[in-house]
Amino acid sequence: MQKGFEQLNYYEMLDIKPDAVPFEIRHAYNAALQVYQPGSLASYSFFSGDERRDILSLIEKAYATLINDQARKDYNEELISRGELNAEKVASPAVKKPVSIFNISHSPAVRIVITNNEALKRKINQSQLIGDILAQNALCGADLKKIRSELGVEIEQIAQETKIRHDHLRSMEEDHIARLPAAVFLKGFVRSYLKCLCLEPVEELSTRYMDTVARFPQK
Amino acid sequence: MAYIWPIGGGKGGSGKSFLTSSLGRLSAGLGKRTLVIDLDLGAANLHTLVGVPYPKKGFSDFIRKKTLRLEDTVVETPFENLFLISGAHDNFDIANLPYEQKIKTLRAIMKLDYDSVLLDLGAGTSFNTLDFFLISQHGIFITTPEPTSIENVYRLLRSIYFRRIRYCFNVTDFKALEDEVVIRFGSGSVSKPECMIKVIADVYPEKHEQLQDAFSAFRFKLIINQVRKHDNAALGMQMSRMIEKHLGLHIEFAGNVAYDDHVHDAVCQQVSFLERYSYTRTACDLREVSRQIVQSAGKQMVFNYM
Ligand SMILES: Nc1ncnc2c1ncn2[C@@H]1O[C@H](COP(=O)(O)OP(=O)(O)OP(=O)(O)O)[C@@H](O)[C@H]1O
Ligand SMILES: [Mg+2]
Repeated sequence: MQKGFEQLNYYEMLDIKPDAVPFEIRHAYNAALQVYQPGSLASYSFFSGDERRDILSLIEKAYATLINDQARKDYNEELISRGELNAEKVASPAVKKPVSIFNISHSPAVRIVITNNEALKRKINQSQLIGDILAQNALCGADLKKIRSELGVEIEQIAQETKIRHDHLRSMEEDHIARLPAAVFLKGFVRSYLKCLCLEPVEELSTRYMDTVARFPQK
Repeated sequence: MAYIWPIGGGKGGSGKSFLTSSLGRLSAGLGKRTLVIDLDLGAANLHTLVGVPYPKKGFSDFIRKKTLRLEDTVVETPFENLFLISGAHDNFDIANLPYEQKIKTLRAIMKLDYDSVLLDLGAGTSFNTLDFFLISQHGIFITTPEPTSIENVYRLLRSIYFRRIRYCFNVTDFKALEDEVVIRFGSGSVSKPECMIKVIADVYPEKHEQLQDAFSAFRFKLIINQVRKHDNAALGMQMSRMIEKHLGLHIEFAGNVAYDDHVHDAVCQQVSFLERYSYTRTACDLREVSRQIVQSAGKQMVFNYM
């Protein structure tokens, strides 16, 4: 959760369902104004002047878009193409009650599970390549990548497991120093990465990695 | 384990003590063994509101005497099933309670053998107050429909949010996070936990998940007190929706409590408002709010941050 307001779609901003009728949209718009207008008690002191202005202008935009049939249609298309809205195939015509045509969905993600840990550990012990890399006294992102490929683990799996963002993982594996997060955070990342691949001892290896990276020329 | 209801709110005079005593009485009236604890040290007055003008012992004894258990400082009140730990005789602020004493108190509160325990926390956002608020997932926020009071309640809410995040990090990591927040969101964002949580989602994804779990376990409640005829009755609902949307914290609006001059009369005459004026709008509201709160309680969880 915890999407910023600006990341919500117009329906979410106004707290309405994607099949809301114009009456509901108007009602929701007025309700939103009551909360976000400068004199409003509910949001008193909650936002800075700038934040409030931004929110109000988004609400205006949301309202103007959804209240206009053509603009709304275009916007729905856009949401559908982004995968945020599903054009629902209505199931049985026998159902008489109204059915919503759209359904907001955010994460179509399917969970990929890392192969079991025992298998990983066995592979690590048997692999000559991994043994050699771990025997060096330096450990960089490229080494991590080599180990990961040797183990046959996809970067997506690591992202799933550790919840670390994709681009961070890539920057690490490519030793893209300028794009790496600050050292305090990087240390946490590399630990999770090592744990995820069952590489041990985690503390020692993460320290080795941090030392190696620190010696890279800064861009 | 007792249900623990910490009651906080920004500004002085919003009605925290009045509501603590009223909710306590209603709970006791249902036959539950109920204990109200006055932690508004330095400005204690809960004893007066529950009909114990001169408590013989209180919280200060627990702090001063090593051998005393917290339950030994409990006094009876004139109401059946209602008990009190008074904050009278304390001439220090809860903000100054030393760390060990605080931990000792928190542990003792969690072990108390009552059905419900209500904590009157007083105003302010000292770390100690925040820690007492976070002792249970059932924290109750009280505000009046005035900008001053609302401003304070939002500050309290953000402080609590920060405090809970803080439990997950050591001092240096937390400082690094604060720096990162300023780098990414500008200097105005240091007081915004919603900015910090975004940074955490990015750089400590696992801790972020833990925190999300922790926050979704909270069952915070909001009560608007001293609502007058012309006030906007939808205010509480608007606040709770907005907090959910912009802070990602779930706070349930538990109801409005009407303003009534008779509250003043009851306090002055030292009688129970709920008994003397039981047919007033305000008394009905109190019963309704109490019902709301008890109904949606779920189960009490054990928290051990410390
Ligand atoms: N619903 C109400 N209607 C009318 N008066 C009220 C109501 N609630 C509280 N009051 C009045 O407000 C005064 C302050 O209430 P109370 O002492 O409970 O506030 P408080 O939040 O505990 O303040 P403090 O932070 O100073 O301890 C009380 O004397 C009482 O008369
Ligand atoms: Mg008080």
